[in-house]
Parts: sequence; C-alpha cells; structure tokens
Amino acid sequence: MGSMFRGEEVVLVQFFLPTSAAYSCVSQLGELGLAEFRDLNASVSAFQRRFVGDVRRCEELEKTFMFLQEEVRRAGLVLPPPEGRLLAPPPRDLLRIQEETDRLARELRDVRGNQQSLRAQLHQLQLHSAVLGQGHHLPLAAAPMDGLLERSPLLQPPGGPHQDLRVNFVAGAVKPTKAAALERLLWRACRGFLIASFRETEQQLEDPVTGEPATWMTFLISYWGEQIGQKIRKITDCFHCHVFPFVEQEEGRLGTLQQLQQQSLELQEVLGETERFLSQVLGRVQQLLPPWQVQIRKMKAVYLVLNQCSMSATHKCLIAEGWCASSDLPTLQQVLQDSSSEAGVSAVVHRIPCREMPPTLIRTNRFTAGFQGIVDAYGVGRYQEVNPAPYTIITFPFLFAVMFGDVGHGLLMFLFALAMVLAENRPAVKAAQNEIWQTFFSGRYLLLLMGLFSVYTGFIYNECFSRATTIFPSGWSVAAMATQSGWSDAFLAEHPLLTLDPAVSGVFLGPYPFGIDPVWSLAVNHLTFLNSFKMKMSIILGVTHMTFGVVLGVFNHVHFGQWHRLLLETLPELIFLLGLFGYLVFLVIYKWLCCSATSAASAPSLLIHFINMFLFSHSPTNQSLFPGQEGVQSALVVLALATVPVLLLGTPLFLRWQHRRSLRPTGRQPEEDKSGILDSSDASVAGWGSDEEKVGCLGDREEAEFVLSEVLMHQAIHTIEFCLGCISNTASYLRLWALSLAHAQLSEVLWAMVMRVGLRMGHELGVAAVVLVPIFAAFAGLTVAILLVMEGLSAFLHALRLHWVEFQNKFYLGSGYKLSPFTFAEED
Amino acid sequence: MLEGAEFYFNVDHGYLEGLVRGCKASLLTQQDYINLVQCETLEDVKIHLQTTDYGNFLANQTNPLTVSKIDTEMRKKLCREFEYFRNHSLEPLSTFFTYMTCSYMIDNVILLMNGALQKKPVKEILVKCHPLGRFTEMEAVNIAETPSDLFKAVLVETPLAPFFQDCMSENTFDELNIELLRNKLYKSYLEAFYKFCKNHGDVTGEIMCPILEFEADRRAFIITLNSFGTELSKEDRETLYPTCGKLYPEGLRLLAQAEDFDQMRRVADHYGVYKPLFEAVGDGSGGKTLEDVFYEREVQMNVLAFNRQFHYGVFYAYTKLKEQEMRNIVWIAECISQRHRTKINSYIPIL
Repeated sequence: MGSMFRGEEVVLVQFFLPTSAAYSCVSQLGELGLAEFRDLNASVSAFQRRFVGDVRRCEELEKTFMFLQEEVRRAGLVLPPPEGRLLAPPPRDLLRIQEETDRLARELRDVRGNQQSLRAQLHQLQLHSAVLGQGHHLPLAAAPMDGLLERSPLLQPPGGPHQDLRVNFVAGAVKPTKAAALERLLWRACRGFLIASFRETEQQLEDPVTGEPATWMTFLISYWGEQIGQKIRKITDCFHCHVFPFVEQEEGRLGTLQQLQQQSLELQEVLGETERFLSQVLGRVQQLLPPWQVQIRKMKAVYLVLNQCSMSATHKCLIAEGWCASSDLPTLQQVLQDSSSEAGVSAVVHRIPCREMPPTLIRTNRFTAGFQGIVDAYGVGRYQEVNPAPYTIITFPFLFAVMFGDVGHGLLMFLFALAMVLAENRPAVKAAQNEIWQTFFSGRYLLLLMGLFSVYTGFIYNECFSRATTIFPSGWSVAAMATQSGWSDAFLAEHPLLTLDPAVSGVFLGPYPFGIDPVWSLAVNHLTFLNSFKMKMSIILGVTHMTFGVVLGVFNHVHFGQWHRLLLETLPELIFLLGLFGYLVFLVIYKWLCCSATSAASAPSLLIHFINMFLFSHSPTNQSLFPGQEGVQSALVVLALATVPVLLLGTPLFLRWQHRRSLRPTGRQPEEDKSGILDSSDASVAGWGSDEEKVGCLGDREEAEFVLSEVLMHQAIHTIEFCLGCISNTASYLRLWALSLAHAQLSEVLWAMVMRVGLRMGHELGVAAVVLVPIFAAFAGLTVAILLVMEGLSAFLHALRLHWVEFQNKFYLGSGYKLSPFTFAEED
Repeated sequence: MLEGAEFYFNVDHGYLEGLVRGCKASLLTQQDYINLVQCETLEDVKIHLQTTDYGNFLANQTNPLTVSKIDTEMRKKLCREFEYFRNHSLEPLSTFFTYMTCSYMIDNVILLMNGALQKKPVKEILVKCHPLGRFTEMEAVNIAETPSDLFKAVLVETPLAPFFQDCMSENTFDELNIELLRNKLYKSYLEAFYKFCKNHGDVTGEIMCPILEFEADRRAFIITLNSFGTELSKEDRETLYPTCGKLYPEGLRLLAQAEDFDQMRRVADHYGVYKPLFEAVGDGSGGKTLEDVFYEREVQMNVLAFNRQFHYGVFYAYTKLKEQEMRNIVWIAECISQRHRTKINSYIPIL
C-alpha cells in the first residue's frame, strides 16, 4: 500500500548481455515482466536489424501455424488451450519445431489435396449422373424440336443448305446464378440455332471446395452445324460449365449412368479412407499446435526485444537499455546471473543516469486496480507525483454515497457487488465476454464500497426506499406541544396542519442521536429543512475536499525540492481558499452552534453576510454573528486579494532571480563545480530518485530561463484558473445537494405512485395479496432500473467529475506515461 | 440535383465518404517510399509493406516472391475495397462506380481480343485482366469476329453497350482495328462520364469535370504521340479524340494536323495548363517522359479532390491514387528484382 501514495522509483538501467546468453536472459525477463526495453536502434529500419532473420523464421512458422489452425477449424475441431507454463524454447529447438511443423503441414496438405481431388471427382461424377438423369426427360423436350427440325430447312437461306442435319448435343451443368446469362448469351451468339433446356438438379450437391450444399442447373443444348458447336463450347467454357459427353441412345445413357453410380460408390469408399487418415493427422496437430504457438510467440517477442539492443564494440555482448523499478533491481540481477551462468560470462545490469522523465509505475492489486483506473483514465501521473488513487478509495465512494444516500438502494448495490466479489475466482465469471458485464465486474470493489457508503449516508438521511426508519425515539414531542398550547379536539379537526414550536419547552427534547429525525418525514416543510442542510453540507464537503487537494500539492513540492512553490504557490492558494470559502464554512458551523430556536426569528442570513463581505458593506437588518465580524471579514478579503499578485508573479520572478544568480558567479565556478560533483556523487549514493528529480528540475529550470514569458503565461493561466476555479468549483460541489435531492424525490415519487397506490387497493386480504404481486414487481423493477442503474450511473458520473475536475486539478498534472514492462503474461 | 447537396449528402453517402477518406490517409507516405527504395530484396519490400496499411496481404503467398504476385495481391486488395464501396453505395453513387469500372472493362475486352487474335489461351490472358473490370461475359469476347458481332452477342447487356454506338462495323478484327475500337470506346465512355458528372452538378461536377477534361486531353495527346509514324490517317485520328476536354475544339483540330512532337508541343503552348507540363518533359537522354509528367499532374489533381467534401470525386481520386501507388510499388519492386537501381527513384510521389 505504501507504494500507492506515489509512483515507485524507476531507474534507467543498462543490460550487458553476453551474446551467447542474451536470448535466455531476455526470455527470463519476459517471464518476470519487470523491465521495459527502450529501442536503441530507432534509426535503423525494421529489416536492417540484427535478428530480423530469426523474426522472419518465426513469422514463417506462424504462417504455417495459421494454416494448420485453419485446417483444424475447418474440420470443425477446436484447439485446446495449452497447459502448464511454457517457456520460450531455446533457439536450437526452433529448427526441430520448424521441421516437425513442416512435416505436419506437408502431410496435411497432401491428404487435404487428395481429399479435395477425390471430392472434385466425386462431384464431377455426381454432376454427370445428374445431367444424364435429367436427360431422361429430354425426349419430351426434344419432341417439339423434331418438328422444328423438319421445318428448319425452310427457314434456311437457300444459299446454305445443310448437308449434315444431324442434331448434336452438348450437356453439362452450370451454377444457377449464371444460367440465365448463359442462356441469353447462347441465344444471341448462335442466333437461335439451338435449343437449350435448363433444369435445376433435384438434390443438392456438396461443393468440393467449401463443402456447402448447392444446387446446379443442368442443361442440354441441341444444335446443328459444326461452327455453332464450336461457339457453344467456347461459351460454355467461359461460363465455367462442366460439360459431359452425351450419348444419344437412351440405353447407352442408362449404361453410363449405372457405370457412374458404380464409380461414385468406389470413390466414396476411398474418400472415407482418406478422411479417416485426415482426422488422424488433425488429431496430432491438435495435440502439438497449442504449445508450439505459445512458444513461438514468446520466441518472436524475445527476438523483437533483441532487435532493440545495440552491439557492443567488441561484439561480445549486446547492450540493452530499459526502465525498471529500483526495488526490482536485485531480482533482475539475480535472474540475469542465473540465466547466463551457462555462458560463462555473467550478464550485468546497472543503472545509468538519465535526464528523461522515467515512466510511472504504481503497483496495484485487485482491490486498488479499479480506483487507480479512475485516476489513470484522467491521466497517468508524472513520475513520482502524488497519486490521488489512495484517497480516491474513500472519497469517491463517499461523494457517490452523498448523492445516492438510501439504505435500501445502497444495500442492494452492496449485495450485488458482494456476490461478484465472492464469485470472482470462478472461471465462468472471469471468462464472461459481455462488455457491460466486464465493466461492472472490473469495478466490483468500487461498487462494494459505494454500496456500503450509501447505506451509511442512507442512515444519515434516514431513508430506506424513501421511507424513514425510527431506530431511536424521536427528539420531538407532539404531546408536549398539545398540552402546552391546549389543542382541543375541535381545533385539531379544523387544522390539518399543526406547527411544533421548538421554542416551547418540552417539545424539542434534543437532537436525534444519528442522522435526520424521522419526525421530519411527516412534516410538510421536510424538503425546506433538508435543502438547507444538504446545501450547507455540500459546501463544507467541497471546501474540505479542495483544501485537501491543495495540501496534497505540498507533498509534490517537498518531494521535488521545489521549496519556493511551497511559499509562492501553496501558501497563497491556501490563504485564498480558506480566507474566502473556509470562512464561509466557519460561518455555517458557527451559526449551527450558536443560533438556538429562541433566537430563530432574528437569525442572521449567511448569504447576505457573505455578499456584504465582498462589498465591504453592512446591512442594518442583518444581525452580525459575532462582535468584530466586519473587521475580520474585511481583513480576510484584503488578504485573499493580496495573495493573487503573489500567486501570479511569485514563481516567475523567483525563477528569474535564480537564473540570474546562476549566471553571475562565473568567477567562482571551480568551487561550485566541485561542490556540484560532490553533491551529485553524494546523492547518487544516498538515493538516486531524489537526485534524479533534481536533475530533472534543473533541466526544467534551464528551459524555463530561456522563455520567461512562457513561465509568466503559464503562471497567469494557473492563477486565473485557481482563483476563478475556487468560486466555480465550490458552486460545482452543490451538485452533491442537487443529485441527492433528485434521488430522494425520485424514490419518493416511486413509492407514492406505485407502492402506496397498491397498498391502498382492496381491503380484503385476498384482493390485496393478488394485487400486490404485480405492483411489487413493478416497484422492484423500476427501483432497479431507474433508481439503481440510472441514478447510480448519474451519481457515478458526477462523483467522477468532482474528482477529476474539482479535486485533481488542485495538485495533479497527470502528464506522465505508464511503465509497460516486457512480459509474456497475457493481458486481461 | 438540388442545390445545397451538402445538407443531405451524408444521409446516403456519408459512411462511404468517411471510409474512403480513412483509406486515403493510409496511402504510403514519403517516408515509406524512402524506406522502400532502400530495400535490398523483395522480402524486404514485403516486410516493409507489412508495417503499412497493406498489412499481411502477402502472408499467404508461397515463396519465392515475385513482382507479379505483389501486383496481383495489391490489385486484389484495391478490388476488395472497391467492391465494398460499391456494394454499400446508393444511387447515383453506384452509377458513378459503374462508370469508374467501365474504363477497366474496356481495357479487359481489348486485352482479351488481342489475345484471341494472337491465339493465346483465354486463361493466360484472364490473369492479366484488371479485377475491377471483370464481368461474366468477358471471357466470351473471343467468339466475336466483328465489332457489331461483339456488341450484339456479348456486350449488349454490359454497361459498355451505350459506348458502342459509333463503332459498329462489319470489318473483321485486326490489330489496328482493335486499337481503334479501344480509342473509340474510350472516347464515348469519357464523354458519357463527363456528361454524367456535368449533369450531376454540385461539388461532384466541379471536382470531376476538370479531372475528366484532363483525362480527355491526355488521351488526345497520347493518341497523337502514338500515331506518329503509323498508317493512321489524320482524319481517323481526329475521330478518336475525346471531345470533352479543354482542347476541344481548336486544340484538337490543331493536334490532328500535328506531325511530330514539336508541333504537338506548339499546340500545347496555347494552353496555360499544358504548357508547363510539356516544358517539364526532358529530352530523350534523361528526365521525365511525357507520360510521367501527365501522371504527376493527375496525382496532383486527385490529391486536391480531397480538399472538398460532399462529392463523389473522392472515390475516383482514391482509386486513381491507389493505382498510382501500386504502379510505384511495382516500379520499385521491379528495379529491386532486376538490380537496376539507377532509376529506382523515378516513381511518382503522392503528396
């Protein structure tokens, strides 16, 4: 948990990997997933790198794997997930795997090819027999043809008598989609000197390539004349028709048909044999492929990393650079030593200084991951910046609950989240692919806390499905009021509304022990009371939250050694915020404590006071809260306004002064230089992180010096944003009030419009019971859909906004980038 | 079309326009070309192309890799994209697409007929046909012996049919005939396409008309250039010029009289658009050819087409740019495979 408060120390390290052991070292690092490698060959294009040959071989293999996988999939089988922990194979294994894969692929290709050709043959046979089978009907179709044939000589031009009036046939099959076009083209090209009959096959034939059943159109074209025959053949060729010899005599056709059937039976037997063999080969593939796939993928990843390394001058070792958490360094060292022990020369890792900003590493567990996710969605923190996530763990669910306060709804949410938490280790839950479900599931701990806090605020608001509960006796006594003011029966009958006056002794016995007194749920001014309470509560929470944000900035400044910002930024900011809005909070609490029921009539208005504070005026009708109030207020406003120029000019002027000072003492340079060296060596012994930060901020300063106007601009923007932000952000926290009001009112409406109506219906026991079932179902459904899901989402959204905009902009830059270590582990 | 088409353009064509703009963004950049030129072997080219939008398009090719395999795969990829656009298009964009494919269909028909004339098997030539210009009856063109045969039997149902009106003749095919047929078809195709774009109006007209005008003029120039020293008569030549370009009518008349390159250049000098192009042509020994200069100009116009929104020109421009890119890659790959590196840099950059 300690590492949650700010990112871990990350250092730039250099690996010296002996060439012989580089592969195993990197593969080990990949198993551990500790270091992120930097590309040292960014200027070298992808195909000029050192290990591109190996990468290419891995890719070749993956291509073959793809082929195998596709074959397995086509056979309707699934590849089992690989079992056990598979390490990247040693490079020499690549050859073995490659050989075996190639052999398998070759075998599979052969068998598949055999099967294909057998199927194609079978298909051909089937088509042929289909064509012949359909041919049985043709004499009928041909009957009118004969008539035509007789007439045709009359139609012929006299110059071209046809000696051979023998009718020829072309029979074949074509895909149904092309049949119409074929028929038309035949007609046009041969000018009608043919008769074509098209028929659909009765049964569907399996396509030899795709294996899908498809119908075919068989056709029989009768024509005369050799030239037309050639044309027809050309046309049928271009439509990819299967053309078969067609015997004119029916007996001959029948004979061929029988022969074909005989052949296809034999072929089917052979095909069955081939398919059995195919399934054997596929079984082997199924067994071998998954582990290989994982191994080769790892191998490729290792080579890709090795491609990022540069060669040492002596060609004896590879040099890699990368980021790694400094706490992991010993582990890293150990791993490298272990995996390079075979090579004789040990791999070395050591840290090197760098001026770049290191990546941010914040380790999370399954509880904190959700909260860190909320923060990271806004922006990954700068290196070693204060991380808002640990505070978010409490503040986020709390602010959510302020808007969602209801015991019943909170409890439902809590139970839902609890169920997810308890079932989180079940594989079925983990493997669920539904995106919406995954979103909820990954935020289960967040939901758990949100539900819990909502129960708490629900008790404070004293609302359970919008109904008040009476856990403790109420602090108000109606009886005392009745006896004191002598309400008669007639008076009671006349007045539906009665006033309880807390000033009358005995009526108000004392505050309710916890939360809102349940008696308020009976009052007509319930809402007025709650509004005032919730509004003030929102302001108090908001100012506290923002002040906390400003204070967190202190840790940043201290950590980065920017002491001037402590004085020139944080202090003025605090004075500004607390002087204006802190004072408002003080007024609210002061009024709660000091104004009693007896002085209620003359109670001062905070709003008027606060407005007068800025106008430096005083309204005579508004009683002052405490003596000397005007003086205090004027002093606070003057003080707050005085901080604005400090905030605006302080940092830029300080930086300029610092810059001037560092330029001036050129005469005394040797001494300073020396001390600088001493300092840095000292620091690097003591702790790298702080030193590096100094280096980093030195760099910042140097850059800043050259463009002072830019610093001024930045500071001006920051100042304006902060000062205006204080006002608008405080107002923004009023959404706590608004949302909680909306939630309470919605649940109230739901109760009144659905449940209460249902409860009033029918007084006989049976009717009520029957009617209440659907009514309750509606109530429950609407509660979940509207109050839990819809209202929950909206409250979530507003809580998110309050954190990102109002809280985090007080201290969090979020301009860093994440450490993404080289790891073989699969991402969730 | 009504005025202000931009208000409802996106209803029908917004999705496709978004897609095509995304596709355009994935054209190879200058840096990609620089890297490609540095490649040593075709394998390197493949690896480099993998890092671009082409991705693993060569993954299923068996070794050894050849230039023609790369070309075929690239064409297939373009064809897939084009088919996707076409299948998702609505009128009048789909007509526009049909017009776009017509030019490829003409080329294919001519290619097949040339093949038939030289008695080459159809299968062999089919491979060379551009996949964008495929149609079912395509393979049957070799049954025809005269243009009117061809029209009546084969092409009457295809989109090419309307372009046949003034090339019906009963002469049997020979090489010159076929070339004439191609040019005539092309002429009527260009004119029809031009008319379609003009009638469509709007931004489409504003973008497409200049492009097609340029295309027409380019054809006129190229026809003139290619006819020098052939038996084609000047009158015949004039009938081949598409009349929708900027050169029409005076320029074409002058061009019909031209007898050598210098005269052609003099004709071009009258036109502000073409003068600089002819000036950029290098003399025989080195420098750019006229064709290259035209290609460069075409690329320029096509790139500019993307500066405006709500028109169909982007689809045309994208296809043409992609084709140019493919030509570039093929050029580079050829240079690499033939170890002829001196000319490797004369590809047409797409800016």
